[in-house]
Amino acid sequence: MALSCLTRALRSLTLSQPALLSSQAAARSNLGAQVPSSAVIQWRGFLTTASLEQNRIRWKQREKYTIRPIGMKKTGGRDHTGRIRTHGIGGGHKQRYRWVDFHRLRYEANKEGQPFEEKVVEVRYDPCRSADIALVAGGERKRWIIATENMQAGDIIKTSGVIGRMAVSANEGDAYPLGALPVGTLVNNLEVRPGKGSEYIRAAGTSGVLLRKVNGTAIVQLPSKQQVQVLETCIVTVGRVSNIDHNKRIIGKAGRNRWLGIRPSSGLWQRKGGWAGRKIKPLPPMKVYVNLPSVSTS
Amino acid sequence: MFPETAQRLKTAAPLFSHTAFLTDLRRLSAHGGARRHLTVGRCLTAKVPPPRNPRERVEIPGLEMVTYGERMHYVPGLAKPATQHWERDYKDPRYYKSPPAHEMLLYKDKPCYMFNQRTSALEGVRQAAWLTKTQVIPGLPAQLLSLAGNPENQIPDQDERVQNAIKHARFWDTTEDRPRKEKYSNTLLLNLLHLCATLQSSHPAVGRRMLAENYSLATTWKRGEDLLQIRGQNGLLLNSMDPLPEVSGKQEVADTVDHVLDTFYPVSPTIDLQKVHVYKEEVNHTGFRDDYPYPHAHTLYFLESADPRCKLRPEQFRTKMIMFTFGNALARAHKLYGTRPQRLLDRPVTVQSVGTNGRIFQFMVFQLNTTDLSGDDGIKNQMWLDEDVELYDFAKVRPLIKKKQVKIPAGLAGYKPETFSKFLALYLHGAV
Repeated sequence: MALSCLTRALRSLTLSQPALLSSQAAARSNLGAQVPSSAVIQWRGFLTTASLEQNRIRWKQREKYTIRPIGMKKTGGRDHTGRIRTHGIGGGHKQRYRWVDFHRLRYEANKEGQPFEEKVVEVRYDPCRSADIALVAGGERKRWIIATENMQAGDIIKTSGVIGRMAVSANEGDAYPLGALPVGTLVNNLEVRPGKGSEYIRAAGTSGVLLRKVNGTAIVQLPSKQQVQVLETCIVTVGRVSNIDHNKRIIGKAGRNRWLGIRPSSGLWQRKGGWAGRKIKPLPPMKVYVNLPSVSTS
Repeated sequence: MFPETAQRLKTAAPLFSHTAFLTDLRRLSAHGGARRHLTVGRCLTAKVPPPRNPRERVEIPGLEMVTYGERMHYVPGLAKPATQHWERDYKDPRYYKSPPAHEMLLYKDKPCYMFNQRTSALEGVRQAAWLTKTQVIPGLPAQLLSLAGNPENQIPDQDERVQNAIKHARFWDTTEDRPRKEKYSNTLLLNLLHLCATLQSSHPAVGRRMLAENYSLATTWKRGEDLLQIRGQNGLLLNSMDPLPEVSGKQEVADTVDHVLDTFYPVSPTIDLQKVHVYKEEVNHTGFRDDYPYPHAHTLYFLESADPRCKLRPEQFRTKMIMFTFGNALARAHKLYGTRPQRLLDRPVTVQSVGTNGRIFQFMVFQLNTTDLSGDDGIKNQMWLDEDVELYDFAKVRPLIKKKQVKIPAGLAGYKPETFSKFLALYLHGAV
């Protein structure tokens, strides 16, 4: 109690006599000696002379798309306040971020509305995700996308936003709206709202199934066996995501997880509770994304 | 016990004011975006907080806002003083800010595709052939190869002297253990050029040549609807007083009408070229004045490791060679025949080029038959390309030993004399 009183008193003191840098205090006393209080010079905040560019924290916030790997800063699981947001993250090999374009149906400038084709230049490992990524080139641009199972350099993949009267016979790696695909197709990179970019089914080796199409909507079974109902204009990629043996790799030792930037869990003994053991639950109800207002493609 | 806590509080008192000052600072130092907290131990810079909405400034007429401007420091409750935008009335190049692109003088609505020495074109030689409307013929022309086979044109003790040149570049030209690639490739090229130049006594025309470094080239042409430019400083250029004779005759040139250019759908031919809106139109310059006594480009020599900031893969390196060779020929042709497209040049312009990384050589002869490059039909240009010719297999300072067996001995191994004869043939072309 006494302590809080004292701190309040101290705070009021600091308000009445605000803290000054020593140089400013000197300058102020000088000014006060020469000029009366109506000084013309205004203080414009605290300026540091060090280059601020080298301490770039907004490494992910760029205006223009690039295929160049971007250097990342490690967070160690901390958020912007400095507190631990996610436990068990830290260290590991240095990684660089490759900007994957999740808007598969992103038209080139001046070529809106027409289906387009792209050529796969390279399929490679990506440290930032479990699936492989593919560099595709088409027209005057190149971009990274998530690779599908059998994608190889030299393949031609097609992207179309047209829903025809007949279902298309799609090859693996092509991207179509859900409404254009036949029922039972294996799909990945699912958009839940048209034009938002793919959010579901992006991990290595996963695939969803297009179960049925009901007046303007499509129902897709996710890898978790949950079913989602989305608009049929949502773009999906046909096939299965690459790196299908991702779940069969052998970590081998604790140190390899550290290379990946994963730290050991706490080690504290905790009694097993309700989370442990087998549970038999009914399937969760179908998730519906249809009535939500759609985000227009920007 | 009580005096102890008082003591502790007394020591903590300056800290309080310090932290209050810090919070003030954080509020004030919003300029620039990036923040540095030099005195804060916590990892505050890990993630960026979401940007705050700028506060609306309400201007009420007749009311004067009370600011802390006069007090020269932040005071809670008082408004931040508004400072007018100050413009410098004198010129200071350190703080010059260029106007936005669309306000520049040279801004044009039509984009131009630039090729410079750091361009890494995705499709490689095929793309360069499409852009320059060229028929690519593998291997060097026969009359050039026969030039080097003639014993009159050979240097006395040729093989030994070439091997000495290689050894000089790879082993002797250093105070370290081994010279770096940037160094030895340059030394080797200059050594070989020096060896070739010793033939001046028997071939006086070799003396009518001049080497130029860091010349800058600029040339413009139209391909289809696109406007293309080659700009940049690149290569070592051997100029000569006399133009090179054309390599293929009239009949062969006429036969190139039937050649169909390779396409690479779905990739556009202008991929990876720099798309600019601010450029000079109709720019065409060989890099030399009009009264330069050596106006004809003879051979360009490219080093793969010339620019340490830009490493090109072999295919992209060849693309660069083709484009710059073509650029030199086109600039010369524009100077001779005017910039209006000519369907068939009276005398084709021939330029050669040699690229090397210190071991592997690329030889190229380019013949510009036409400057009418818009359409895909009609006469095409011709190019003879000899890729990936090795001058030697290994030049090791220390032997490669595996399982206690010497796999590759130290020193120069696997010297191939025919590679230098090709180099010599290109050098002597036009002087015999």
